[in-house]
Amino acid sequence: MASDKELSDFLKSVEKRAFKRVAYAVRDDDAALDIVQDSMIRLAEKYVDRPAAELPLVFQRILSNATMDWFRRQKVRNAVVRNFSEYESTSDDGDFDLLETLAAQNESSATESAAESVSRAQILLAIDGEVARLPTRQREAFLLRYWEELDVAETATVMGCSEGSVKTHCSRAVHALADALKAKGIEL
Amino acid sequence: MNNYTDLRRPYAPAALEALEARLALRMTAHLTEAATDLAPDVTERLRFAREQALQRARAARSAQTSVVVVGGGGPSAALAGGEGGYGWWLQLAALVPLVALVGGLVLIQQMHNNDQIAAAAEIDASLLADDLPPSAYSDPGFVEFLKAPDDLPVL
Repeated sequence: MASDKELSDFLKSVEKRAFKRVAYAVRDDDAALDIVQDSMIRLAEKYVDRPAAELPLVFQRILSNATMDWFRRQKVRNAVVRNFSEYESTSDDGDFDLLETLAAQNESSATESAAESVSRAQILLAIDGEVARLPTRQREAFLLRYWEELDVAETATVMGCSEGSVKTHCSRAVHALADALKAKGIEL
Repeated sequence: MNNYTDLRRPYAPAALEALEARLALRMTAHLTEAATDLAPDVTERLRFAREQALQRARAARSAQTSVVVVGGGGPSAALAGGEGGYGWWLQLAALVPLVALVGGLVLIQQMHNNDQIAAAAEIDASLLADDLPPSAYSDPGFVEFLKAPDDLPVL
């Protein structure tokens, strides 16, 4: 069973990355904060008896599920309060197509920020923007595998797909990021 | 080193994977750096969320402990058995009504059998104690005699 200190240390170590990961997906800082808070509370209430070593994987799964739930709620809410016709073509393909539509709407601002000079802050901003523009599954795989440092099997478990899919998503994400950054004249 | 050019060279799959991982880790290092510079209101909100979660964890732990103590019959049971002991006690307690029901049914069946045996024994005793032999009841003529009206003249 994870002690108070272990749980606190774990949450402290993961909270900022969790926020950024969710914010990339939902494009709304307040919603991302709500989702992270809900996930933390769910972890604390239901999985407090788990050993500390299991917390990272469990938390990432909770976070992914909470994000999916948020998209489902948004979808229902949007269907009620406004005409949903602009998303009709993607409504049968799952929740993340909506996200990709939202991602495309943010494209111009990301391009503007990355088109400036190659100072350190701008590099960070450019990478941040390019990660945000990745297709959802690629971004999820990339962040879980390389930022959260889960192994391929754990990433596959969190994403609910095969290990081969994880490798493919990660590879495509890295290539896409490399291409985009190179096009902007940014070297790491 | 220009990583983007390297990615396009014909590398072996393992080497390409390693190269991709190295490049990815450089990118995520930048992401980590960017994540440390979150706005103060965001970091404050995250701290608040963390505190809330820790409070819930403490509440969940204390609730678990109190249930174990009640279920185990005292602090010694909680220390000895912990959560597993409580589970056993709960399972045993759930079995008690079932055992009582089965026992009651067996007892009722036993009493019913005893009543039937007693009734049969009483009939047998009456038959054996009577002046009339039991074999008379299997004689068709005697049965007809019993059915005949009482005022029929005896020949």
